[in-house]
Amino acid sequence: MNCRKNQSILEKVKNYFSNKEVMARGKRKENKLKKIILVGSPNVGKSVLFNILTGAYVTVSNYPGTTVEISEGKGKIFGRSIEVIDTPGMYSLLPITEEEKVAREILLSEIPDVVLHVIDAKNLKRMLSLTLQLIEAGLPLILVVNIMDEARKMGMEIDTQILEEELGIPVVATSAAFGEGIGVLKEKIAEYIFSRNIDADKKVG
Amino acid sequence: MAIVISKRIEYDPKIEKAVSNIVKLLNHDYKISKKSIALLLLQSDESIMEMVKKREGKVYKLIAEIVEKTCNSFDKPLNYVIAMNRQRVADDIAGKAVTYSRKKSSMTVSDILERITINPITGIPIFVLVLYYGLYKFVGGFGAGTLVDYLEGQVFDVYINPVVNSIVTTFIPWKPLQELLALDYGVITLGIRYAIAIILPIVGTFFLVFSVIEDSGYLPRLALLIDKVFKGIGLNGRAVIPLTLGFGCDTMATIVSRTLETRRERIISTLLLALAIPCSAQLGVIMALMSHIPVALVVWIVFIFLVFLLVGYLASKVLPGNKPSFYMELPPLRFPKVTNVLTKTYTRMRWYFFEVVPFFIAASVVIWFGNITGLFQNIINVLAPIMHLLGLPDEAAKAFVFGFFRRDYGAAGLYDLHKAGLLSGNQVLVASVTLTLFIPCIAQASVMVKERGIKTALAIMAFIFPFAFFTGFVLNSLLNLLGVSF
Repeated sequence: MNCRKNQSILEKVKNYFSNKEVMARGKRKENKLKKIILVGSPNVGKSVLFNILTGAYVTVSNYPGTTVEISEGKGKIFGRSIEVIDTPGMYSLLPITEEEKVAREILLSEIPDVVLHVIDAKNLKRMLSLTLQLIEAGLPLILVVNIMDEARKMGMEIDTQILEEELGIPVVATSAAFGEGIGVLKEKIAEYIFSRNIDADKKVG
Repeated sequence: MAIVISKRIEYDPKIEKAVSNIVKLLNHDYKISKKSIALLLLQSDESIMEMVKKREGKVYKLIAEIVEKTCNSFDKPLNYVIAMNRQRVADDIAGKAVTYSRKKSSMTVSDILERITINPITGIPIFVLVLYYGLYKFVGGFGAGTLVDYLEGQVFDVYINPVVNSIVTTFIPWKPLQELLALDYGVITLGIRYAIAIILPIVGTFFLVFSVIEDSGYLPRLALLIDKVFKGIGLNGRAVIPLTLGFGCDTMATIVSRTLETRRERIISTLLLALAIPCSAQLGVIMALMSHIPVALVVWIVFIFLVFLLVGYLASKVLPGNKPSFYMELPPLRFPKVTNVLTKTYTRMRWYFFEVVPFFIAASVVIWFGNITGLFQNIINVLAPIMHLLGLPDEAAKAFVFGFFRRDYGAAGLYDLHKAGLLSGNQVLVASVTLTLFIPCIAQASVMVKERGIKTALAIMAFIFPFAFFTGFVLNSLLNLLGVSF
């Protein structure tokens, strides 16, 4: 909530122009602010990741539905500036509640450089359905399998390699609340948004 | 975009056919793939239908035909068929990627806790314990008692107020200006004092307790526990979250009621928040007021709770709509992280404080203005007969006028009257009940308008205002009739 209000006019103008740039495809400038959108079911740790990526603070709770508005913030990955958007929880691309509508509206109006689909490792099976929908939507996706610590405690082992092969997208395992896997996540994001040849690489691979 | 060899779901052939036909008809750019748009159209997503209709114009009719034809060829709803297709693929992938290395053997402490918090037999006593120690002992006793006594009685009464009063009376010759800054209704001696000495310690202790409770994962379990009670008042367990958050700050909670599924639920919870849920500051002051008459406090709790149930029940009868179904993620119980609890408490206190202080200062100025022009006295005179009906002294009208500005401000006004020995036990009870039900504060009212629309907000307020006084009247008459005095 707070971050959004604090957005200065300058930033708004900047965003406006960066959007324009994206629209003029192919003419992307290297120094354009890269945009990251966090999506996923309620209570999977999107806001924790938002706080980590931006250094800002949005309220984090252990109950679903804490985030009802969009938070926007800025951060740095390996010294490069990024813009991060945190969304309310959504279970599916087909929304039921108002907060789900808000989350989907973002996907229908923004042009993200990368979308992080954050899921709860313990409920991987159920949450993969949204991953599939986001892939179907053609969004530039990274799957973040969060809350690994609790999954491990339950005796669950998740092979991210297999997930990457099956889904055809980058997959990172994290326990964001304890900082676990954040380094790898940042690397994958950087790989995705800062390396210019990534599209070409993917096509060949 | 970037991904080329990503997973592709095979849907039912009839659906695949419809999708490819619709995709061919979509000529505009939708930011997400046309396949997704086509699938959403098949699932009768209203906002997508609206958008496509606007962008594609005449072609939309053809699309609508395909959607209808496809819908008719299945006996189950299409969103169900599509979801099942997708889930099969998800199950398949999960089956390959996930292995269970060991079965859980013994019950851990958190397993036991998770069970007993949702079992009604053990869950309700646990809930009562949480309320007793968390709210009554810590917020009411420590926050509203110890901390307020110290800040009010020591810091302000002994040091700040006398110093401010003597400086102001010595250096400022003009009486009205003296009164603006100091004395009875001064910005410093009333506004700042209320904010720092009464409200801040209460809100701070409440937010601390609430942060611990919310991070532990207890709230969704509470939601499950009282889902049945809530069903009766047209809400489901999900509403526990906005409603309990209301005990922190009703304004914040009204925003969070967005998470409820139907408009009907959102209206009912907005009404209940405005009417029967006191915010932490108000609650703290009320607990402090009645701390030495515990029986009156119990009567207050029971009475407000009955009003909550009754109004909720009536509202659910009056408002048309379906009974909501209950579905909520049940997160595990976790040991709250100290840093997160402290940061969250601090952020909320800061947010609250910066919201409260300007309001309190503005209220002091308005009251000062009302006082020197005699307007304030006029309002009190108008309200005096109502006060008499409730068995309250004229001065109590002040607290209600304060309550217009903020709930907590009104409660703090009551606290002052009580301290001056102007209210009897019965009067404290009646005034507290009425003030709790009475009109939401300005911030909450504006959020109500923003979230629910002006008509609904006005309707809610038009109901609350007379209802609060009527309830106070009923309570006072009951007390007189039964000859009870606290």
